[in-house]
Amino acid sequence: MNPARENILARVQAALRAQAHRPAAPTTAPIFPPVTNPETRFREEFIALKGELIDGAEKLREFLKPFGRIATDDTQLVREVIGDGNAGPRDCDLGVTGCDCLIAQTGSVVVSTTSTGGRALSVLPPTHLVIARRDQIVPDLASAMALLRKRYDSRWPSALSVITGPSRTADIEKILVFGAHGPKRLVVYLGS
Amino acid sequence: MNTATATALRFKRAAAAKATDLQHRAVIQKAIATYDAAVARGKTRFADWQNARSHAAAIKWETINHLDRYLEQFERNVLANGGHVFWAETAEDARQHILALARRHGVQKVVKSKSMTTEEIHLNEALETAGIKTIETDLGEYICQIRGEPPYHIVTPVMHLTKADIAQTFHEKLGTPLTDNAEELTMIARARLRHEFMTADMGITGANFAIADTGMIALTENEGNARLSFSLPRIHVAVVGIEKLIPRLEDLALLWPLLSTSGTGQALTAYSSLIGGPRQPGETDGPQEFHVVLLDNGRTRLLADAEQRDALHCIRCGACLNACPIYKNVGGYTYATTYQGPIGSVITPHLRDAHQWSHLSYASSLCGACTDACPVRIDLHHHLLHNRRNSVQRRFDQPIQRLMFRAWLWAMQSPGRYTVGGKLARLAIRLGWAKSLAQPWTEGRELPEPPEQSFHEWWKQTR
Amino acid sequence: MRVALFIPCFVDQLFPKVAIAMVTVLRRLNVDVDYPTEQTCCGQPAFNTGYWDEACTLAKRHGEIFADADAIVSPSGSCTAMVRNFYPELLARTASLRSAGGGTGVPACVNKTYEFAEFLVRKLGVTDVGAKFPARVTYHDACHALRELRLKDEPRQLLRNVQGLELVEMDQAETCCGFGGTFSVKFPMISYAMDEVKVTSIKKTGAEYVVSGDSSCLMQIDGYLRRQNLPIKTISLAEVLAST
Repeated sequence: MNPARENILARVQAALRAQAHRPAAPTTAPIFPPVTNPETRFREEFIALKGELIDGAEKLREFLKPFGRIATDDTQLVREVIGDGNAGPRDCDLGVTGCDCLIAQTGSVVVSTTSTGGRALSVLPPTHLVIARRDQIVPDLASAMALLRKRYDSRWPSALSVITGPSRTADIEKILVFGAHGPKRLVVYLGS
Repeated sequence: MNTATATALRFKRAAAAKATDLQHRAVIQKAIATYDAAVARGKTRFADWQNARSHAAAIKWETINHLDRYLEQFERNVLANGGHVFWAETAEDARQHILALARRHGVQKVVKSKSMTTEEIHLNEALETAGIKTIETDLGEYICQIRGEPPYHIVTPVMHLTKADIAQTFHEKLGTPLTDNAEELTMIARARLRHEFMTADMGITGANFAIADTGMIALTENEGNARLSFSLPRIHVAVVGIEKLIPRLEDLALLWPLLSTSGTGQALTAYSSLIGGPRQPGETDGPQEFHVVLLDNGRTRLLADAEQRDALHCIRCGACLNACPIYKNVGGYTYATTYQGPIGSVITPHLRDAHQWSHLSYASSLCGACTDACPVRIDLHHHLLHNRRNSVQRRFDQPIQRLMFRAWLWAMQSPGRYTVGGKLARLAIRLGWAKSLAQPWTEGRELPEPPEQSFHEWWKQTR
Repeated sequence: MRVALFIPCFVDQLFPKVAIAMVTVLRRLNVDVDYPTEQTCCGQPAFNTGYWDEACTLAKRHGEIFADADAIVSPSGSCTAMVRNFYPELLARTASLRSAGGGTGVPACVNKTYEFAEFLVRKLGVTDVGAKFPARVTYHDACHALRELRLKDEPRQLLRNVQGLELVEMDQAETCCGFGGTFSVKFPMISYAMDEVKVTSIKKTGAEYVVSGDSSCLMQIDGYLRRQNLPIKTISLAEVLAST
């Protein structure tokens, strides 16, 4: 047992014997303006991030045509809508997953190792397609947390990600480039 | 002030060189102007930005002032999820533990995502010396690594480089064709690093937050390299400063957008991730082992200073660097230490040798822009004053300066002596002596015309 | 209405015209002024350099000199901030360091000290002082006035009511000029770079004058302008408001 743990905790406790000045309390007013129309808001935010939205089975078929190697997670909705994949995450040109929910406030897609089976499928492929339902849209981050808490509090997935648009970087002279390491394209199919 | 220390002298020289580099100034100020515009837009997404800051300050105050309780809760939860926790008192302890872990698991290659904490403990050098190939995967950090330079800014590592600089670097070091198209350069890095992710044995990340009630770490990024670092290799190590704790998962509903807004002006970065442990049964991939290294390395010293304890609330967003007129003119390398800008100037005398690093607290005009910019309301510029007072109390100041202020006090305590002093000052200007006495200031400026009468004299005469 | 004048040491010795202008404006508004002649320095230079014991001695002295004033007005944001924002901490902290007690507590002057523009607008409720100054001007926000006293609109309200005056904003109005007291002498190259950035921003406005409420900033900017032989002039807010 390394004594560092006891040493650090002892130093913390000794340090905290001196009182620090407490800052002025915040007000109870909401931190973010309320989201009035979640689905509209989600669509606006998602498109502004250069996400791509697909409505309807016909459009989905069109979208899938150019992709020869598709990897899917084994979740129910994906099996229903897409069927089986024919590649793995490392050699596919399209990765298809489900999601935990969609967040209107920020246009985000929440994925986890439970809702997508694992970690890599939603970040390795060059294009990531999310199969989602309209009723998976929640208004804001706070409600997304509440949903996750309710769903997982007894057994959390080992990893979750709140995905807000495709992978990007602005490290080079603040010029925005997509597909730095994660998917260059993020696509959401919104079913009913 | 302690201009006598070697570190302080190096700083002065570096600052003087950079302050006159107009090209450097133009690049930095352009980057920060872009940032300023994005942040101004980002703040409008909040109903009340000032209130959001107060909320965040309250969350961090609660955590830091009950840190032992939250550290123990965090550890319990990490262990319950199958992870490991190592407590490191010093940088050396952290390095040795990670090296031992790597050796035990036959690790030959490490991929790293951006972590200032791993910079702080000089982890890369230790791994490389032990023969373990260590690759930075954040684009900016990767560029720094190829160039053999440290990161220039805690959030934007290559803010000081132009496209042409980066193109040249890739061409020279990677043998790639000379292109200064940002997209092409990024794709070069993407292709190279993909191979490294696939073949690495260990992924090392930092953590933006450590959540006590769920035993998770939170990672904020835009590129996806952190996600790949904690998804593909068989071991994931997270190096986490003890001050990163927050009480609850729900706190992220505020802290994530706050960090993104102050860091880059975004509502959220592309990936805000949570890691709770190694791969669980039923999961298709993920590391077999998850290790958290909790780092002290001087943080408990800062914690014990109740007056400046709130400096531990820092969420490492970089806003204070971008607000600071000194930073904007001298740049990140001038500081010559891991944490730069106002927050770096405040905390470094606590984390490192106080005598060697107090000069940073004097390299400020105390304008207060940093304090206004800080999303968690750290009283930054007042802490610079506190560091100055501490420096004098500990007698780091030069005896001549101490003597000067005693003499000055003696003069100011008597209207008679003050009046004589004032007359002498005006005479010194008139006769041209002041020009050399105040030489550092008069180097580039004209002194004011000395008035015939002081206000005192005018009042006596005219009222 | 009677106020005591708190004239910072360097204004007294180097820029008395600023204080005289302030007196002119106050008298125009029927404010009686008093000038406690024993005042010397509020202690800020020592405080800022870390010499809190020395600063404390002067703070106590300042408090005694202004103990009976109903209101104290100063043509300096930084000196006003020293008294209002820093005296409480300075006196509490330094008194507790000396185990021999005897701290005077917070002197009465702390909550009665006002910066000049602040006094006019927030205390007297006046934004038009009957001034005339036909020129194109830009305003430099001195850091202490802006961030310690939260003065932003007040000087601008006063300037907008000056006859003939055209106010243009510079893009770096809130950026520090680089003076910072001893900072400009200890880190002269950084201070100079900041001065340069400020003047570049001023030049872009095409203004004939740059105005500020703090004479130390004006001295910093003016020194650079004159060395560079630039036609732009500096002037204090008090002098503009005194102008008829």
